[in-house]
Amino acid sequence: MSWSRRLATLLPRAVERDDGGTEPDPRFTFANERTFLAWSRTALALVVAGLGIVQLLPPFPGVPAGRHLLGLPLIALGAVLAVAAYIEWVRSQRALRRGEPLPNSVLPWILAATVTGIAIIAAIVLLLSALR
Amino acid sequence: MTAPRGRAQPGDDPEERDPGLARERTSLAWTRTAISFAALGGVVLKENVITGLLVLAVAPIVWQLGRVSRSGAARTDLPTVGATRLFIIALSIVAVSLLCFLLAIFGKSAPLDLR
Repeated sequence: MSWSRRLATLLPRAVERDDGGTEPDPRFTFANERTFLAWSRTALALVVAGLGIVQLLPPFPGVPAGRHLLGLPLIALGAVLAVAAYIEWVRSQRALRRGEPLPNSVLPWILAATVTGIAIIAAIVLLLSALR
Repeated sequence: MTAPRGRAQPGDDPEERDPGLARERTSLAWTRTAISFAALGGVVLKENVITGLLVLAVAPIVWQLGRVSRSGAARTDLPTVGATRLFIIALSIVAVSLLCFLLAIFGKSAPLDLR
């Protein structure tokens, strides 16, 4: 399937017109929706954390861009997570309709990888600041 | 979240008797999401009033979108309404984080005193 067609299946209209399989148990639909909402809140929390680091933290001595090195990736991750959560919701909803096993979620992986990256950046910034 | 195949008896699960619990949990999740938007709006308000108000204005919209799942009518039609709502949420988070990204770069605490 080409990229444009694959993208088109993600649009809300395509999801709403999806008539493959049967309508799943409403409880599963609700659970899928709640999972999406929980990831959305996680994304929002990351944006709040990133903005908080940039705004509220005193600057690191010797590392003038330190706060931005920590905060900006967090804010970007928030946007990525929101889009990924929606894609995940579409895939799960399709699988639920067809009674297929749910697709593996990449969201925990994205989150874990980025948090690890941020922690490493934080350690480097703190070290540079201390060794100044 | 797999299909409950081979479950003991219908009626053992409290939700089997009252599927409204799942609806209620979902509606509470919508409320929490709306509150999260409001919280972000509060943080942004500290940096830039206009952007903060813009983000705060999203909260009641999310609340209103959540109300769709709160109504008792059209119980089985819900999934057909769902996709657009969730798409709007995802898009507004992307828009809001873009605003915050720009605020973080060009805001009061600009890196390397670039402003």
